[in-house]
Amino acid sequence: MSDELRMRAAPETEKAQFEDEALEAIWEIAEEKKEVTLAELNHDLKDEQAILNMVADGLITLRDGKVEFTGEGRRRARDITRRHRLAERLFVDVLALTDFERDACRFEHAISTEVEEAICTLLGHPPTCPHGRPIPRGECCKLYVKKVTPLVVSLTEAEVGGPYRVVFLRGPMIDRLASIGLVAGSDIKVQQKRPSYVLSIDETTIAIEEDVAKGIFVKKHETENGK
Amino acid sequence: MSTKGKKREEAKGLKRVALIGNPNVGKSVIFGLLTGKYTTVSNYPGTTVEVSYGNINLDGTRFVLVDTPGVNNLLPMSEDERVTRDILLAERPALVVQVGDAKNLKRTLVITIQLAEMGLPVVLDLNMEDEARDRGINIDKEALKRLLGVDIVGTVAPEKKGIKELKNAILEDSKVPGLKIDYGTVIEEYAEKTTALLPKAKISRRSLALMILAGDESLAGWLKSRLEGDKLESIESFREECALKIGRPIGLHINEIRLKKASEITESVVKKTGEKEHRVIQFISKISMHPVWGLPLLLLVLYGIYEFVGVFGAGTLVGLVEETLFGEYLNPMFTKVVDLLLPLPLLRDLIVGEYGLVTMALTYAIGIILPITTTFFIAFAILEDSGYLPRLAIMSNRVFNIMGLSGKAVLPMVLGLGCGTMAVMTTRILEGKRDRLIAIFLLALAIPCSAQLGVILGMLSSLSALAMAIWATCVMVVLLFSGWLAARILPGERGEFFLEIPPLRKPTLANIAVKTAGRVTWYLKEAVPLFILGTFVLFVLDKLALLKVIHKIASPVIVGLLALPEKATEAFIIGFLRRDYGAAGLFAMFEDGLLTPTQALVSLVTITLFIPCLASFFMIIKERGMKMALFMLAIITPVAIAFGSVLNWALRGLNIAI
Repeated sequence: MSDELRMRAAPETEKAQFEDEALEAIWEIAEEKKEVTLAELNHDLKDEQAILNMVADGLITLRDGKVEFTGEGRRRARDITRRHRLAERLFVDVLALTDFERDACRFEHAISTEVEEAICTLLGHPPTCPHGRPIPRGECCKLYVKKVTPLVVSLTEAEVGGPYRVVFLRGPMIDRLASIGLVAGSDIKVQQKRPSYVLSIDETTIAIEEDVAKGIFVKKHETENGK
Repeated sequence: MSTKGKKREEAKGLKRVALIGNPNVGKSVIFGLLTGKYTTVSNYPGTTVEVSYGNINLDGTRFVLVDTPGVNNLLPMSEDERVTRDILLAERPALVVQVGDAKNLKRTLVITIQLAEMGLPVVLDLNMEDEARDRGINIDKEALKRLLGVDIVGTVAPEKKGIKELKNAILEDSKVPGLKIDYGTVIEEYAEKTTALLPKAKISRRSLALMILAGDESLAGWLKSRLEGDKLESIESFREECALKIGRPIGLHINEIRLKKASEITESVVKKTGEKEHRVIQFISKISMHPVWGLPLLLLVLYGIYEFVGVFGAGTLVGLVEETLFGEYLNPMFTKVVDLLLPLPLLRDLIVGEYGLVTMALTYAIGIILPITTTFFIAFAILEDSGYLPRLAIMSNRVFNIMGLSGKAVLPMVLGLGCGTMAVMTTRILEGKRDRLIAIFLLALAIPCSAQLGVILGMLSSLSALAMAIWATCVMVVLLFSGWLAARILPGERGEFFLEIPPLRKPTLANIAVKTAGRVTWYLKEAVPLFILGTFVLFVLDKLALLKVIHKIASPVIVGLLALPEKATEAFIIGFLRRDYGAAGLFAMFEDGLLTPTQALVSLVTITLFIPCLASFFMIIKERGMKMALFMLAIITPVAIAFGSVLNWALRGLNIAI
């Protein structure tokens, strides 16, 4: 990923980066109101010439001072907005950051579609960003249209049954769990959740309490095959 | 065997063979089969908390076999795991017989990898092959042998299958497993740097370097005594640098790489076929952990124990042995013989008098307590071998949380119902000093041992259901409240609940018989001399007319606070030696009609809470030090008396008829 980051930061891609920002801004304004005016856009971006260049490049059209996407422009705007908002979700939900806005802006340019889908899957195809704005659906989300619950959940939210695949672990018991073979990537079944959690992994059965179960994040195994 | 025995073996220079393996894979059964020496075998992890030594003689070659507590990782995470790692570090066995669970090859191999790193020759014994087969797990042992380059034997220990092959494998030239793992450039670089600084050791320095990088603090003492300060500092800075570069806990990182390798090997040699289902056992297993149905099952189990130990053992059997055998035959016979042979009244009293060695010590020990403990040991062995006890931990985790402990503590607590001394040692399976301290304190205060419990059950069964309920409530209240208080006073967090649950198994008659016989023998050896000593003390005090003085001194407490007859003082005096002996004294008084039902109940509650017996007191000193042991004593005695007094006052004040 670091190679890609360096590539994107090169001078010739400065234009592309501006375009991304502009498209994202238009998308955002369009979400709130119906019309996007050049004046409004210019107020945000402060580079009228560059905006006009985008018209020439066939990303947007300009009619009576109103800005609209072309097909290509809409597709790119949608992608970049999706990445930005997914990045925000990742930073807030998983990394527990509070000051994330700047990094989210940089991150959105740096990730490939594959990484984007992986993040989306990890987060359970979230419908909105931390600010409450909708995250445009990606290809990966369409596969799980029917699923309402997030894909990756802590064991406390998982139903009895399985098999589940462990995605990541948190908390002071990681070493203990690892010592019996329960690590990220292990397949486990949940036999019961009360009065204590009983899990089986291969031929081993363990009992843990809710506090430990909270730190075990899993996804349903079937989705792996469903891909 | 004791440390004395250990030294003797060392002097002879016999080769050492260590049994190493995951918990609950059957190391102790194999140990028993190879040495002919019985060590406790049960169906839950953590039965063996201490190292046992035994001799084996194979075709004229003699070895010392070492049985060790189970480990999931040779990077110790609890005291019992540390015991095992230290054996390898300090004694360097000539050979390791690694016992593994055939149905859990992956976890077995994680240990094999570490033994290979230590540079130890290994014979791999895949035990419980029958269970693996039932679950449709077939291991290609030849392929595994080629991969590891060591001898591999399959066994079914309880049926003695494969033991001959195992013996042959031990005699052959054993090799270090050919498993070399590359942990990636960063870890390898720092492992090499650290290795260069380490002193000579009995296991490979690379394995030590990996343990140190993984942050094993239990090695700190060992290192400090062998390395200069600047080298220690460099090692510490290597560890920090490495951790920074890896960016996540190194121990976990290393473990994951090992697991991955173990997983690859497992997949290449294991073939899975359909499994046989054991529906009845699976059904019981499910019920035993069920949030609703688990409770009726527990009550059923408790009721069963009560019927078998309290009614059959303390009632029927004691009636037969004490009243009939001792009361009608042995004691009159001894009295006649002594009258004939020893006309001296003093000697006569010593043997068959009120505090006579036969009429009191032996009658109590063999007439009252032996039948009760034997029935209890049988019931207990069935519970242990079935695998029910860890399931009890699932049910009771929340209750133990109130006492500042995790459900895991149910194991030492229930074991404490067998023998407090053994149970104190078992607290080693708990994580953290704080948890062990609370558990030991509660064991000493409120958990009656089998003999005492049996006597108490016997007395209560002839009182009323209400008495039984009051006694149980009192003990539970004290247990919960003092645990709750101790958890608040002691600093630190309790260990989180994590326990491996073994499969439910049908207990085998042979193991129950052997285990019960072993425990009964142990009881006779330990208890009878103390009973004789206690009786002798009472005899001397009586003859010197000091007993009356003690009665008078204790009278404000015994008569004043507890409203018991003066004679009950004697039960509390001998209770210092053994709690069950004290209880037996009360039992005898009750039989003779010297205690009213209310007095009986008050005295039982008090003696239940009363100080631990001498043996478990010594064990507490050994595990936690003299200061802590005396401190516990100083709390427990007044608490027991105070609680008994309150109960007495409440029963009388509220006019409750027992």
